[in-house]
Amino acid sequence: MTGDDRWYEAAFVVGITNALNVVADGLGGAPMPQVEPETAPAEVRTIFADIRAFYGTGGPAADVLGGEIPMPFGLIAHDPGYLADVWAAVKRAFSERRLTRRHKEALAFAVSLTTRSAFGTAFHLGELRRLGVGERGVMEVVGVAQMFSSYTKIADTLQLSSDMADIAPADASGVPDPGAG
Amino acid sequence: MPTVRLRDASEYPEPARRLFELSKQWFDYDFKEPPAMSRVMAWDPHFGGPHGRAMKRAMAPGEFSRGEKEMVAAAVSGVNACTY
Repeated sequence: MTGDDRWYEAAFVVGITNALNVVADGLGGAPMPQVEPETAPAEVRTIFADIRAFYGTGGPAADVLGGEIPMPFGLIAHDPGYLADVWAAVKRAFSERRLTRRHKEALAFAVSLTTRSAFGTAFHLGELRRLGVGERGVMEVVGVAQMFSSYTKIADTLQLSSDMADIAPADASGVPDPGAG
Repeated sequence: MPTVRLRDASEYPEPARRLFELSKQWFDYDFKEPPAMSRVMAWDPHFGGPHGRAMKRAMAPGEFSRGEKEMVAAAVSGVNACTY
């Protein structure tokens, strides 16, 4: 375990969140039906059961989550092997390790909000609430996402170079800082 | 190369330099010059002041810690494709 573990975990949450949002927002309104649990093959039903258990979709959060199975999983379940791999990655990314699950949901909510994902914003807002985050906590994440969506555009408009590199620990990777110069 | 010439701290009026002192405390780091964004915000204190207060309010520890929020801010900056 190193100090980078938390950043790897965060990056995986951001990446897989975006992947789910791309399918849900992109295919949600397309004429592509979701695989329904009642008619799914056994291997898909097993995965769906694991998804339900992970998100607690049998409880009061089911409405927020858009039904028993979150939309992107129902959409990709037409290929059971692909669903199995994607779900394994999602479950791993969102499982509590160095970062708590509520922190990971905060990251996913902020990223979904910032990328204007209607599915992801509603889904992860539901998850935050299910995990006990109150309106104050939700507003904290909204505030961070909103303010840093402002700072980033101001920095980009003025083409500012990062001057925070001196604060961060030395990077031994040798990868050039794209913000330097 | 920035679009504008970033002024040195000494070129700003005294009230702005007090803001730079607060910025140093916020980051808990002794910059040679205030961070570029602090100097940009000080260009118009009537914008930078409330913007900075809103940021500090959002980043203050609450249900989430300052550290957790810094990571959220980094993720938001990443998806906004901002290297700053």
